[in-house]
Parts: sequence; structure tokens; C-alpha cells
Amino acid sequence: MKKVYVLIGNYGSGKTELALNFAFKAAEAGKRTELLDLDMVNTYFRLTERGKMTQMKEIRLVAPNFACSGIETLSLPAEVASAFAMDWDTVIFDVGGDAVGATAVGRYHQDFMELEEGALEVLNVVNVRRPLAGTAERIIKLQEEMQIHSRLKITGMVNNTNLAGMTTDAELRDGYEIIREVSERTGVPVAYTSGKKEFLDRFLAEGHDPAFIGTPIAIDTYMQRDWDSWVRGLDSSPSNPRPGVYYRTDMA
Amino acid sequence: MALTLMKGSEAIAEAAIRAGARFFFGYPITPQTEIPEYMSARMPEIGGCYLQAESEVAAINMVYGAAGTGARVITSSSSPGISLKQEGISYIAGAQLPCVILNVMRGGPGLGNIQASQGDYFQGVKGGGNGDYHLLTYAPSSIQEAVDILQFAYDKAEKYRMPVLFLADGIIAQMMEPVEMPEMVEYKVDPEKKPWAATGWKPGDDPAKRAVINSLFISTEELAQHTDKLQAVYREAEKNEQMWETYKTEDAEFIITAFGTLARVAKTAIDEMREEGLKVGLFRPITVWPFPYAALKEACEQPSVKAVLDTEVNEGQMIEDVKLALNGARPVEFLGHCGSQFPTTAEIIAKIREMKEAK
Repeated sequence: MKKVYVLIGNYGSGKTELALNFAFKAAEAGKRTELLDLDMVNTYFRLTERGKMTQMKEIRLVAPNFACSGIETLSLPAEVASAFAMDWDTVIFDVGGDAVGATAVGRYHQDFMELEEGALEVLNVVNVRRPLAGTAERIIKLQEEMQIHSRLKITGMVNNTNLAGMTTDAELRDGYEIIREVSERTGVPVAYTSGKKEFLDRFLAEGHDPAFIGTPIAIDTYMQRDWDSWVRGLDSSPSNPRPGVYYRTDMA
Repeated sequence: MALTLMKGSEAIAEAAIRAGARFFFGYPITPQTEIPEYMSARMPEIGGCYLQAESEVAAINMVYGAAGTGARVITSSSSPGISLKQEGISYIAGAQLPCVILNVMRGGPGLGNIQASQGDYFQGVKGGGNGDYHLLTYAPSSIQEAVDILQFAYDKAEKYRMPVLFLADGIIAQMMEPVEMPEMVEYKVDPEKKPWAATGWKPGDDPAKRAVINSLFISTEELAQHTDKLQAVYREAEKNEQMWETYKTEDAEFIITAFGTLARVAKTAIDEMREEGLKVGLFRPITVWPFPYAALKEACEQPSVKAVLDTEVNEGQMIEDVKLALNGARPVEFLGHCGSQFPTTAEIIAKIREMKEAK
């Protein structure tokens, strides 16, 4: 049966990274995979920039008309229809952030409704370390808004809590606690918990309730940016001076 | 304190709010539209005002008005939008009003492109608008530094009664880094502390307490008196407000000068070169006005220093201040590109090697 994943969620929660991971895993398992870049919100960080990578893995990529980073026509490509019309094993929709981003999939309501029972997974990707997503109240409010805008019912949440290069063991654990509360209050199950393997393994070993973990997915980072390799900027202020940073009081 | 994974735009917006900003006036423009977007969600939550003006010209004049009441007010834009704001910025500087203006620099001139750039250095520190004025201008190198500087930016703006400009390259606004956020400051205008603020004078009140917000002084004497007063403030700010960072300069043979995020590319290059035994250091102005001339001169006049490499994401703007600081004491070379192409660590290393061989 064709499986269709729709990734929606808070802006910057890691949807694109997850979409690539889902796609690569599916392709590596020999599945005919289509990946759709439906991000109509953020023109800077989209998976289309990793187009070559997807070609190498024999994944069909549907992208907006794309000139280069930040330059494209933000229109829904006609090719999106291929997700429903063609015979794929796995289809992944990477959707823009927040309710405004989720609006883009609303257009395909009829097509989604015609999918076989159980074929569709609508996933709310959550990173509780993101601003405006750090409390159960905020997550529930956004979840309701996204359901209205996308015209889809969210079938599960993904605990994708991380701090990019500064992630520690605390992230998945804190994400687990908050997302568990959301799940208990809304009835939306936790479908997946995702993170880099080292953090995921340690989190799983902590013995949390599997009902609020879902399927664990170890992910790799593909959306790496140049600045991730730069020396971190020194952070300093007159009230909190740090070595190497000077304030002119001594040079008058 | 817990870290949050924030995009620069969001962090800067939230930090301004936590520093007491309750009024945002702006107009969207890439690559900083996430700032107004965030403000539009956050300001109503905390009883502040978010207003999308009909243009940048309108937005900066709203800032002018709100700042005149003593409130903590902020606007943000990107290069071409800041150009549109220059008239208002000059008026605000002339009227001596504190406020914070964020310029998230993109490629230029004209509409340029929407990628990160550092092409507005001249505009930020050498004028921009008309008349003899300056803005207290910070060039943050990381999201955390931008957040930290915002915590005292309003205090400085109010101390000197001058606008603060953030000269942030587009990368600062678009990158995501974990950030530690400060506590929320509840700022209330105190008319005793801000006697210049227009807080509601009415007929019958003491005429001496009537605040007039103005940048027009028709008589020669009056304008001269006013500009003398401004210049005295600028001299005071030059004395007290210079900020800079040095990185591995102690024994350096070559010193790189860079501001903003490019300084981090330079640091990465420096770490690589030091592993090969090439002694290179970095001098990074954090305030680009006032420019830390004396500190730069001192760092570069150490006997070990043979030459200076200035690198920027433009065709050479800050290099003029670097040369002014050194006054011929050391040769200064340049590495930079316009068109939003960041010099890479490999380019920086190649340039330093070339300079080393030429010695």
C-alpha cells in the first residue's frame, strides 16, 4: 500500500530534515519514493537545495520553480498531482511552518480524502526548544490552527526536540514530557521520536513510557549550513564580560 | 538558564521586547521579514503595539513619533528599506531621540539581491542621511551577541539621546543557533528621567516643562548651538562606548580585521592556520561607530605584526577606517567580494599565505 506522510509543524521544528531522512530511509529500503517540497513560506531553507542528493538516491523530487536559494516562484507545481496519480510506495510532503505554511496542503484535500484507509500519516513535528513552541498550550493552539488550515487531521506527533549542534540528553527528555502532556490532553498519539543516534539511544535507555515515544528514528543531518562549522561568536556584554572582548574605558 | 534554538530574527525581536521595546513599526523586506512576523505575534501578547506601515518612510516617522514620547521603540528593515528610512533617521538624530534601528544587510546597490552582505557599512557609519550626525552602531557576530547588546542598547540610546543602529549581515537574521534569553524588563516611561519626552503637556501646565521634538533650527546661531551639543555627545560616546574583540593577536604576524559574521569565518581560518604554525590573529570592531581606532592601532603596532588583512562582504568599506587607525604604520591588504559572496576560510588562508610569501 502507498504510504503518504505529510510533515507539518512549528516553523523551524525540523520538518525538512525529517522529510529528507524519511525519504532516504525509504529509498534505501528499495521503495519507490517521491518527495514534495511544498514549503511556500521559507525560501531560504528548503530541501530543493539538496536536490542533487535526492537524485543520487533515486528519489523523485517535486519542487517549486527554483532559480537558486531564495529565488523561486512560490506556486504549487502541477506535478504535485503525481503524488496521488502515480504508483509510489512512499510519498513525503515537506510543508512550510506554522498554520500559514500548512495552508498549502489544504488545496489537495480531495486527493488526501481519496487515499486508502491507513495510507495517510499527518505528522506534527515538534521541537519544544523553539520559541513559541515551548509549552503544551502553545503546541495545542498551533495544532488546532494547522488542522484548520491544512484541512487534515493530525494523526501523530513527532518529538524532534533538539538544539542543533548544542543538543544534549535533556532535549528529547524535556520534549517527551511536554509532548506527553499534549498527547494526554488532545488524544493525538506520539508517532515518532527522532534525534541523532547517540542522543536517541540514551533517551530510549532511560525507560520512558513507550506509548509516548512511538517509533524511534535515528536521523542524520543533511541541512547542515556553513556557519555550523564556524567558530562560535564570543558572547559578551559590559555586565557580563568575557575574555577577549573589550570595552573602552581604558583607552580614552 | 535554558537554551532555545532560535533563528536570529526571532531572537533579536524577542530580545528587544525583553529590553522593554513595546512599539514596533516596520515594513516587510527579505531577509528580515521574520522580525516583523515575530513581532506581529508577540507584541499583542504583551500589550505592545505592532504596526505594519504603508512604507519604510511611514514606519520611521512612526518611530520618530513614538520615540518622542520616551517609549522604547524599534524598527527593522534591510538595506534598500534602510535607504528609504534615512531621512527619518537624520530627523531622529537631529531631534536627539533614542530608538533602535535594525539593518539586516542584503546585497546592493539598489535592490541588489536578498542574500547576506555587508555593503551598508558606509551608510551606517559615514552618514546615510543628511547632516553632521552619528548613530551608535553595533555589528554583532553571533545571535547571542546581538541579544546581549540589545540588553543595553536602549540604556545607551537614552543615555546619549541618540539612535542605535544594528548593522547585522543577513546571516545573523537567517541562521539558527541556541540562545540564552535574558529576563523580561518592564519598562515604564519616567517623565522625571526623560524631561525631553512629550508625555502630555496641556495648557495651564508649567511652560518650561513643555517638550518640543524638533530638528529644525532656522537661525544660524541656534543651529550652531544645537550641532555643538550633538558633537559634544558624540565625543563623549567615542570616549566611552567603543567595543571590540581580539582573537589570538598576542604573538600574531598577521592581523585580520573583519566585522559581523565574517569575523567567525576569519576565526575558523585562523584556527586552521595556527595548526600549521602560521601566527594569525583577528581584530573585530563590535562598535563600528565609534570605531575602536586606538585599540586597533595598538594591536597592529606590536613588533610581531607584519601586515594587516581586512576582509569584508563588500568591495572595501571598513578598510578606510582600518587605514585611518593605522595611519601607514603597517601595510593593509584587502579580501572581499560584493554580490553577497562571503569570503571563505580557504580564500582567507590563501591570501595570508600570499602575504607571507611576499614578505
